[in-house]
Amino acid sequence: MTKTTHTVNFTLNGEKKTFGTRPDEKLLTLLRREGYRGTKYGCGQGTCGACTVLVDGRATYACLLYAMQAEGRTVRTIESVGTFDKPGEFQKELVAAGAVQCGYCIPGMVMSATALMETEEVFEDEIVKEYMDGNLCRCTGYEKIWVALRKTLDRQASAPAKRAGKKSSSKGSKK
Amino acid sequence: MKLSEFTRPDTLAAARRTLRELGPKGMVLAGGTALHFMQGKTPVTAVDITGLGLSYIKQKGNFFVIGAATPLSDIQRYRGPRWAMHEICRRISTHQIRNVSTIGGNIARVFPWADLPVVLLAMDARMVVYSGKEKEIPADEYFSSQPARLFRGGDLLTAVKIPVLKAHHGFGSVKVTRNAAAFSLATIAALLELKDGVIKSARVAAGSAIPFPQRLKPVEAALVGKEAVTAVFKEAAAAAGTAAKWVGGEGMSADYIRELAEVSIVDALERAAEFARGRAE
Repeated sequence: MTKTTHTVNFTLNGEKKTFGTRPDEKLLTLLRREGYRGTKYGCGQGTCGACTVLVDGRATYACLLYAMQAEGRTVRTIESVGTFDKPGEFQKELVAAGAVQCGYCIPGMVMSATALMETEEVFEDEIVKEYMDGNLCRCTGYEKIWVALRKTLDRQASAPAKRAGKKSSSKGSKK
Repeated sequence: MKLSEFTRPDTLAAARRTLRELGPKGMVLAGGTALHFMQGKTPVTAVDITGLGLSYIKQKGNFFVIGAATPLSDIQRYRGPRWAMHEICRRISTHQIRNVSTIGGNIARVFPWADLPVVLLAMDARMVVYSGKEKEIPADEYFSSQPARLFRGGDLLTAVKIPVLKAHHGFGSVKVTRNAAAFSLATIAALLELKDGVIKSARVAAGSAIPFPQRLKPVEAALVGKEAVTAVFKEAAAAAGTAAKWVGGEGMSADYIRELAEVSIVDALERAAEFARGRAE
């Protein structure tokens, strides 16, 4: 990238960071340049969802967000959800279901599902589809992704104690 | 659109001042999703208005007031008495876009396929524009031509006021797309006021299949004074051909699109009538 002219401060995966940037740089470009390469460049025009990250807990296309728009916000990428050695719950189910073929869409899928699981209490099909409607997969036909997601959600829904505990602690830290 | 500078004014007055100074070199940014697709090689300064407290939805008297920088997903999730805006917002683009894209962005510069102008025309909404002081512009005037004309001098859209539907009023909207996230082929919205099963007043608007969102006055005229039944809706929808210039596209002829619109008008009217009857009891 050519010389940076501006700085932007935001919390990235739990750490406060300051980055050099330019007004027309996309958040996606900044993240990948800084080594957060789990977030993928797919269509670059807000259609495919491979670049999905969470901004203040909401699923957002990093390719349609200028890096400067992240100022003061909390950004989470796929790196915060799981690693190769320690995958997240949904990631494990995706592998178990054979839902990962080329794998390019998966980080985005996982981030949309993370927003769903951390926002909603009830995982009716209609709500799940609404959260996942901005992520395209060109290999699997979605069925296996859906199976993996449903398993993850059903397990989470049947573990209310853990959820309640997590909720109250996050509230506590905010106030 | 190429951004060369990025500012975050902290008051409405400062935002307006900055935009006045910048003239055509300034560009309001809220969600910013449309900026990535706008043509123009001249570098512009983004004026970020998301720090001005313009993201909210509240009921104030007979209106729901929606801040101009409110994301579509908030409108989709909000629930209030006789609230009808969630239906269309759920149908706009994808989850990730709805989280970022704002009501103001959808209507400050109207693209032909935009859905909210159609809904706001039918709802008889009022747009609040800040020009040092705030003034309200009725939907018919606001959408009479490209609203961007109103903001050239640095004025800003601050809120949208939507009348709370009264008893016997009903609203319905229909958006036809090839797949869930696609741009609209035809968007129709209808507001009906019923009295003893008879249509007392009607506002029907269309968008996407025509050059610019507009009301379909011949359709409205064919409804008033008649019974709110399917046969009447069909007859009224048949006036759509004279009401607007329907445009074909994506391999579809203008006649096909008009027929699509006619069917959608009937659907929207059925929904509006059901809404009016259901909530009247």
